[in-house]
Amino acid sequence: MQFRLTAILSATLIGFASGSAVAADVANHPQREAYFGETHVHTSWSFDAYIFGNHMTGPADAYNYAKGQPIKHPLGYDIKIEAPLDWMGVTDHSEYAGVVRLANDPASPISKLPIAKDLVVHKPEDIQRIYLQLGTSMIQMKPIAALVDPSVSGTVWKSNNAAADAANEPGKFTAFCAYEWTSTPRYSNMHRNVFFRDCAKVPEMPFSSLDSQSPEDLWNWMDGQRKQGNELLAISHNANLSNGIMYPTDVDFKGRPIDKAWAESRDRNEHLTEIKQIKGQSETHPVLSPTDEFANFEVLSYLLGDPAGTFPQIPGSYVRQALKDGLGLHANLGVNPYKMGFVGGSDSHNTGVPYRQDNFFGGHGHADGEIKTRMTGALFAGLDTRLENPAGLTGVWAEQNTRASLFDAMQRRETFATSGPHIKVRFFGGWGFTKDDDKKADWIKNAYAKGVPMGGDLAAPAGKAPSFVVWAVKAPTSGNLDRIQIVKGWAKNGQTFEKIYNVAWSGDRKADRLTGRVPAVGNTVDIEKATYTNSIGSVELTTVWTDPDFEPGVDAFYYARVLEIPTPRWTTIQAKELGIPPPDVVAATVQERAWSSPIWFTPTDAARKAVPAGTTVADLKSKGAVALTDAQLNDLIVGKNLWLRNNVTGGIFKAMFATNGQRVIRNVTQGRMPEQSEIGAALENGLLGIPTTYVIRNGKIVTYFGNAPFEMTVFKAGDKTFAARSNEFGFANYEIVPEPAALNPNLPPGASL
Amino acid sequence: MLIGAALFVVQRALHAPADAPSPLNTIVLTQDDLRQMSVSWLAQGRPPLTPEEWRSLIEAKVREEVLYREALALGLEKDDTIVKRRMVQKMEFLAEDVAAAREPNDAELQAWFDKDPARFAMPPRITFRHLYFGIDRRGAQAKSAADAALTRVRPLSEDAAVALNVADAFMFEDVYRDRTPDHIAKDFGPPFARVLFELPVGVWSGPVESGYGWHLIFVESLEPQRIPAYEEVADDVRTQWIGEQSDLAKRTAYEQMRSKYVVVLPSVPADAPGAASRPQASDDAPQQ
Repeated sequence: MQFRLTAILSATLIGFASGSAVAADVANHPQREAYFGETHVHTSWSFDAYIFGNHMTGPADAYNYAKGQPIKHPLGYDIKIEAPLDWMGVTDHSEYAGVVRLANDPASPISKLPIAKDLVVHKPEDIQRIYLQLGTSMIQMKPIAALVDPSVSGTVWKSNNAAADAANEPGKFTAFCAYEWTSTPRYSNMHRNVFFRDCAKVPEMPFSSLDSQSPEDLWNWMDGQRKQGNELLAISHNANLSNGIMYPTDVDFKGRPIDKAWAESRDRNEHLTEIKQIKGQSETHPVLSPTDEFANFEVLSYLLGDPAGTFPQIPGSYVRQALKDGLGLHANLGVNPYKMGFVGGSDSHNTGVPYRQDNFFGGHGHADGEIKTRMTGALFAGLDTRLENPAGLTGVWAEQNTRASLFDAMQRRETFATSGPHIKVRFFGGWGFTKDDDKKADWIKNAYAKGVPMGGDLAAPAGKAPSFVVWAVKAPTSGNLDRIQIVKGWAKNGQTFEKIYNVAWSGDRKADRLTGRVPAVGNTVDIEKATYTNSIGSVELTTVWTDPDFEPGVDAFYYARVLEIPTPRWTTIQAKELGIPPPDVVAATVQERAWSSPIWFTPTDAARKAVPAGTTVADLKSKGAVALTDAQLNDLIVGKNLWLRNNVTGGIFKAMFATNGQRVIRNVTQGRMPEQSEIGAALENGLLGIPTTYVIRNGKIVTYFGNAPFEMTVFKAGDKTFAARSNEFGFANYEIVPEPAALNPNLPPGASL
Repeated sequence: MLIGAALFVVQRALHAPADAPSPLNTIVLTQDDLRQMSVSWLAQGRPPLTPEEWRSLIEAKVREEVLYREALALGLEKDDTIVKRRMVQKMEFLAEDVAAAREPNDAELQAWFDKDPARFAMPPRITFRHLYFGIDRRGAQAKSAADAALTRVRPLSEDAAVALNVADAFMFEDVYRDRTPDHIAKDFGPPFARVLFELPVGVWSGPVESGYGWHLIFVESLEPQRIPAYEEVADDVRTQWIGEQSDLAKRTAYEQMRSKYVVVLPSVPADAPGAASRPQASDDAPQQ
């Protein structure tokens, strides 16, 4: 005990001494600077990184890499960052931290344990075997006792923090104490990166997924830490690999109904979520956002470990839908659990990180570190390596490059994410912005004074509609900018919607008067040569935008998305190097992008009450309505057409239920369906005659949407029949109506041609 | 509270069987021990301990101590890998402590710095003003506009050139002070940074292309790369010295101890079962 305490003490003192020495002359920027950094990187100290072949480099090397020094890739060649970072937190897995490295080190005592011989890597096949052995132990919550002894893992944790202290240079480079909580229940990614504000206050041991796989337990532990004055935050990541459980709306991880306490707990601990990394983006999916023409970007649909016969569920796995569901939950619970800002990260297991298409060296050691391996689409634990893409990046608007200043900015969500390049984006919302508020010399100061920055809440309404100042500048070494869009989401009576507004774009393109669509920017990419030119697009885009569809009684959020012009994807660049055609499983070009954290609008109670209330299941039941049984549902729909009115939008549509268990949606009222989320391409598929399977069971009509059950319960209330859909927070928003004579509400009644 | 008393003494005799007349052993828990138990309890996010929880926590601690001592009496620690591993680790901490315990004096650090001062080299720093000719406003004509402007501003002072208003508003700074090449590369792109640090001081020159367009540059001052005096980087030297000493201490301590041992290995053919766990085998990196 004595030895250990002394060691900790001296490590802390060294950290403190080097940390405080220069604090006095740290530059301060009252209008905040964009500090670019990394929230998610693994070194050889992570059990899986080690078995992927990362043996040599640890946290100190990761910080050196971030500062611009070359380090070794696990395969032995030099790697160097494209542009040095301002800050980083190394997030090695807290589970089995360091043990595989030590098992493979003959000088280490762990290598003498019986378990060690299972962990030694001799052949490529060993990599997957060990990964699965340790990974399965984590997935099944069966820790390998010999490997979780605090005397081993505690040491690694302390060394990790000592490396952060040594790399931390206030004003020049910030190194955070951090780790990854790696909960992977049933192959679903529930991972969080945990960041601490002050390394002097970190706990003896981090809370690992071997302690509990439930995020609720992680938050309890975090609450306890916070009570003791240890400020910390958790960043959920890779929601796209979560199999629909990252952002639940009905029951929590433990199967308990989601209530106010749960929402508050999540909101206290998770202000940020990672929107893009090497294993794909988590903003949205074309199936969830069928009207978003840029949604099909680095979609990676996969489960860790690639279990046979299982593939991920789309709903519940993407951030935009969570933001919308958060509004729906807010109306019900009084708290929004999904008020999340954005970060980008890498999840590289190579200590060093590739952020750019022209510097892509993979993220998993031997599995994708060699050009021929990855360009053949070598299966890495079932994943086609060509689907990987460069790391995302986080920008933080902070006054100073210090732990405290950056951490506080992360807590207030004044962050943005990029797909890799150093694009800068500012975004302010308020009630009094006018036409030229983005052009004055002191516009930033003015914007802070008159509004709130990204991550904030709009003040109480002081005008007809909120206005926003948005500004973006390209990365100096990347493509010009195509456009800025504002993504708006809102919720009404439990139903959620999204709409994308083009607000600023390059050149003299004209937005379509009816749809608002702006023509594509063009494409200068020569695919064969893997080159592009900045002869199209803009260096800087800026505008003031007012929401033309604002409703003062409806919860909403707004975030900015900035798109670059098309540039060659890494697979196109490396195909040229090899002299082969670019692979056909991925796009040849990409539009790199940046996402600002959202700004939220919450109505006043009075405004909220002024919106006509919808019908809830509870209302129906209190009036004596009963749910139809399976037999009654059978009589109602099988072999029939059902005309339904969506009482929130007023839209009417026809659901056709064939006797062979197939269903299509058709004849949708013009303009009423496409904005709604989570219905996928129901209309498009219906018009093409592409059906979906349905079944009647347990009093519900169940169809599958994006691999998730989509359930409807039907209630008879007097002479009316209502249907309540899953994920609409207790509302019964659909009503069976007679077949309408016509479906175009835009045509005045009686009009003739 | 009673439990908060300075010492908490458990008399083994209270629980000892009546027919065991062995001498009494004493287990002493100090105030610090209790405080630590309380802290680690609270650290798990739980409410403060109730008296009942205190009792069971202490009983668990006592149980651990009793069984530990009884195990020692039976010699169970011998040949136990986990015990061994823990002891080895303590040796390593000890070695680190030895290194960290000694505070270097200035003369020593200075001498160490003098051996290889280049490792503390400070990058060059530049202060410059620029006139921006952006492609947003000028498209492909940005460079020729900058060329034309150069002939007008070249004879002028820095301020007079700015007053001509021939350039575009820039998104960031008009004057950059005391910047290193890394910093410039991050803001303007590496090619711009390379050219910038070669430009003459005190005159308008360029145009230089950046990721945003073309720039005319007036370098106000350029401080070349230099080796700092020891005093300027004393803190950094001290940190690096301590790091090196710690590595060195561990390595030499181990080498000394290792030299007292002879290792005897069985003569097992390389492909025999079990050969895999021999030390030399673990150097084999997996090959794709």
